Amino acid sequence: MRAWLRYALCGAIGLALGSGAAIRHVRAGSLGAMRAIGPWRTGTDFGTARADGYTRAVVALRGLLALPAQEARYYNAATDSAGQPLDGKCRYRLSGHKLPAKWWSLTLYDRQGYLVANQANRFSVSSAAMADPAQWQIVVAPAEQAGPWLPTGRIDRFELTLRVYLPDDGGIGGMTRDQLPSIVREGC
Amino acid sequence: MRRWIGPVLVGLLLALGAWHVTIVQFPRVLMRTAIGRLAKPGINTMFAAPLATDKARTIVRPSPDLAYSTCPFDLSKGPVLVDVPPIPAPYWSLSVFDARTDVAYVRNNLSAGDQPIRIAIAQPGQPVPDGMQAVRVTGERGIALVRVLVEDRTAFAPIDAARRQASCKALS
Repeated sequence: MRAWLRYALCGAIGLALGSGAAIRHVRAGSLGAMRAIGPWRTGTDFGTARADGYTRAVVALRGLLALPAQEARYYNAATDSAGQPLDGKCRYRLSGHKLPAKWWSLTLYDRQGYLVANQANRFSVSSAAMADPAQWQIVVAPAEQAGPWLPTGRIDRFELTLRVYLPDDGGIGGMTRDQLPSIVREGC
Repeated sequence: MRRWIGPVLVGLLLALGAWHVTIVQFPRVLMRTAIGRLAKPGINTMFAAPLATDKARTIVRPSPDLAYSTCPFDLSKGPVLVDVPPIPAPYWSLSVFDARTDVAYVRNNLSAGDQPIRIAIAQPGQPVPDGMQAVRVTGERGIALVRVLVEDRTAFAPIDAARRQASCKALS
């Protein structure tokens, strides 16, 4: 084989492998993969010039036009508190306390980041729906439940995004495992 | 075998370079795609999108609690003016994202004292009208986004009417 052909072949393979690996790496990332707090993942540099290239790429893919931390914090869960993937055919109970922020909402998405069709046309539950903001529970399940309920649409895998708007600390710190809700699977 | 050492090293260097370029360009490509989708009603025009449902595919992870109005902007011919009047909702905000997806500006109704928000989005060096707050961005294109909290979808009509008063237009 001629020398230039060897260089061209290895160069083309290198370009393809480098680009392909980068795309695969970004696609494998989850929104807020920078910091794990129990089942929740979050980051503080969304939408800011401080974000590194990888963070910016993952946020662009999973949550384009996300707000910076002082305006909103995003916590994403793809597993329950035991580390098992969230399954749309199962019933989960989220239990939480007062979140230090102006208001919050919990939204269910499919793995691609889109809202999920369901019988109630309900896509989120917000703090305004909690009878007691200091001690609240939400059931995430395929069938209708008494009290605050978020339907799963019976999809195989789903993710939950907790948006916490205007955090009391201005987005500087972040919430602890005790402050964030637990996600417990009750049955399938 | 030794004849392959040089080509393999070149291949490895190109792989590293391709990795870096892909990571850097990834947000820009997605932003261009999003601008292309949002610009269907028009560029430098504010579009009041309906509340998100499972049919929404324009952007990922839309919040169903928020009403979004978007203005994909193009500064190639000069600054773009954005004007958002007060909206009767507990929370509303205006944010500006540049071509790299970075937030160049964000202000909400609380920090604005429920007063109108008026800004001129411009590139460095572009003159803006006197009295207008200039928001300088990197790159010619980006997105201005109005978010409005809708706590009760059945009470959306007055909020929708107010947010439709928000405007976005090229200066020249």
